[in-house]
Amino acid sequence: MFSGWKIWRNPGRTVWFRLDDRLLLIFLGAVVGICAGVAAVCLNRGLIAMFETLSGLKNYWWVFVVPGAGAALSSVFLEKLMKEGAGHGVPEVVYSVSRHGGLLRLRSAFSRLISSCLTIGTGGSAGPEAPVVISGASIGSNIAQAFSLNERQRIALVGCGSAGALAAIFNAPITGMVFTIEIILGEWSALTIVPVAVASVAGAQISRLLQGNQIAFTHLRFDVDVTTTLAAVGLALVTAAVSIALTHTLRYSHHVSDKVALPVWMRAFIGGCMVGGIGLMLPQVLGEGYHSIQEMVEGAFAEGLGLVVLLVIAKIVATSFTLGWGGSGGIFAPCLVIGSFAGLTYHRFVEFLWPGVSWVNEGCFALLGMAGLVSGILQAPLTGIFLIVEVTGGYETILPLILVSALSTTVCHAWEPASFYLKDLMERGHYLRPRTDAKVLADLSIGELVEKDCITVQPDMKLGDFIKVIQQSHRNYFPVLDPETGGLEGMIHLDDIRPYLFDPLLYETVFLEQIMQRDVETVDIHEELADVLDKMDARGLFSMPVVSNRRFVGMISKATLLDRYRHELIVQT
Amino acid sequence: MELKLEEFSRCLDMPATTIERWIRQGRIPVKRLGNTCIFSDTAIRKWAEDHNLHYHSPGEKQCEDRSEKLETLTEAMDRGGVYYDIPGSSVEEVLDAAVSRMQNIETHEDRQVLYDSLVAREQMMSTGIGNGVAIPHPRTPLSRKGIPAQIAACFPEKPVDYNAVDKKPVHALFILVAKTSNEHLHLLSRISYCLRDHEFLGLLSEIPRPETLRNKIAEFDEHLNGRC
Repeated sequence: MFSGWKIWRNPGRTVWFRLDDRLLLIFLGAVVGICAGVAAVCLNRGLIAMFETLSGLKNYWWVFVVPGAGAALSSVFLEKLMKEGAGHGVPEVVYSVSRHGGLLRLRSAFSRLISSCLTIGTGGSAGPEAPVVISGASIGSNIAQAFSLNERQRIALVGCGSAGALAAIFNAPITGMVFTIEIILGEWSALTIVPVAVASVAGAQISRLLQGNQIAFTHLRFDVDVTTTLAAVGLALVTAAVSIALTHTLRYSHHVSDKVALPVWMRAFIGGCMVGGIGLMLPQVLGEGYHSIQEMVEGAFAEGLGLVVLLVIAKIVATSFTLGWGGSGGIFAPCLVIGSFAGLTYHRFVEFLWPGVSWVNEGCFALLGMAGLVSGILQAPLTGIFLIVEVTGGYETILPLILVSALSTTVCHAWEPASFYLKDLMERGHYLRPRTDAKVLADLSIGELVEKDCITVQPDMKLGDFIKVIQQSHRNYFPVLDPETGGLEGMIHLDDIRPYLFDPLLYETVFLEQIMQRDVETVDIHEELADVLDKMDARGLFSMPVVSNRRFVGMISKATLLDRYRHELIVQT
Repeated sequence: MELKLEEFSRCLDMPATTIERWIRQGRIPVKRLGNTCIFSDTAIRKWAEDHNLHYHSPGEKQCEDRSEKLETLTEAMDRGGVYYDIPGSSVEEVLDAAVSRMQNIETHEDRQVLYDSLVAREQMMSTGIGNGVAIPHPRTPLSRKGIPAQIAACFPEKPVDYNAVDKKPVHALFILVAKTSNEHLHLLSRISYCLRDHEFLGLLSEIPRPETLRNKIAEFDEHLNGRC
């Protein structure tokens, strides 16, 4: 029997929850969803308050410094106070899910909220979604840790947090679910979808309770006909091109800022001031930019083709300066803004080319543009489709929407297979989706595979004595160790010495150090299994000696590996 | 049920580090507190079955005992027995007489199977290995219930022409029956070790008493055991 406290700390031990943890996950998922929803609402409120406080400054000439100051403060807060690197948030969550079973620090639950509030509230061009996602994910992870849940359950709760947060900030429960499953978890199974769905509902509900059930962008009714669907193909190409441009500009700006020899906060300040400077001329690029989107969706955006093209470029540059130079925030909202500008540009352009055709309202193209850009940047078509359907409440555009999302994703994927979020992770080999070869290999460690039952011999052993050792062994490999240090001196493989084994004349005259292979390729016990396999394949080896601090530990062989790999695969699927 | 991690990993025949990771990752329905695993025996049995893993309860003996203990010559010879004055002038006659006298064979049918199998082997190639000794044995290991693994030492009335490698007539036969090929090789290797010893060969030509033979064989066993 356990005391009440123990049950509270360890709910997995109670009979109810131990038999099947689905109930536990649904219950905790709802709790995590509510907490994440509250975090999202807090950020939203904080941003509104910041806008209101700072709106009085917009008539001063030095207002362009404000985004700089915000970005600098945010970077100091994140780097110095919280000791967390400035990042978008989403890659960090994916990394933690891939590599550390969803382990996230408690401080991540609020650090990005504050820093992104500073960046965006002062006019930096970034979005609040990624900070909210990492915050929700961290809440989920820490609740799982508090209840001593295992990694699978913790990852599910991390997903719950991210879904709840996203559902709350956009008031879009399906988007929260789909984004989490498509990007964060990468696993479509009922076991994970159910708690994530519950958390999504909880997050969206709490946001509706606290801020009312409002749709982010209300729209006019669009009369979508076949010309729009056809035109969507062209728009998909445009949004894909803009996505690629945005990805490259962001990365380039990161690259340049890394080379500038200034403290981090100084770089953030410069980046912020540049954004402020652009904002003096084109105020639409500042902040998350939802106001401009609203105008565009309603069809009330008056500027002509030239200015809209300029806005697309300006917003890309502003976002790159904000995020690339050390500001904190997500890429989601800028994507929506750039997407709607791109949609508008395309609309103006086709209207100019075929003035006789009766085109649908430009607001529809703004929507399609948003979907195209989100899908292109994230390479997650479903997230793009559902986000736009939910934030505009418009289902009538669904056909061109699907087309734009799908094509934009395809083009971007063909250009660069790794999406913006995941490129760094993939390059460093940290992008491990469940049930893949990479995940199985990453989970198996050399320490688990090493065979320790091999007989070791000494360099000064005579061949005659060695024959007796062979009689008792069931292996073909014999590591030769230095008797004093235990270090690996060489290896003897039966195949190499077979011709001498039957010559009794050599038994008393040959020492093992004379016949062993000296330049033996070894594996360190902490090496990644995937690298070890590459080594084996490159040299055509079937087994290799494993060393730890140059001391011999055992052997690793492909035969054992296959056995364990199979077990691991069965257990993981 | 509560078990130490190491004991539990033995039940599943997996390294403790792997089991530890599976518990941490939540892949196995086991809860861990410190070094103790808490689990339900039936749940784990079902889980192991679903995941193609072997599981045996902690008390249960592992069904396949890998380090199967191999017999000594003395044990095999005690079961086989020593027989003198076997009549017959040809290989078949001697084998027939010897098999009919062997004590540890249950039915007449078993005797017939053993005899047929021994003769079949002799027809392939004589088992007379020289120096007047032959080691008749079945072509393939006999796994009949009525014939236990054994070595029967038989001394014919008069030396038999056995078509041996050195053409010498045979005055001692060791009929070797084994259940598995592993056991067969083991016993054959032990007996051939003995037969390399000149003193032992001399002893055999004098047709020793059962006790003398047994003592000598026990000596060899001891020597061989010490070497392994």
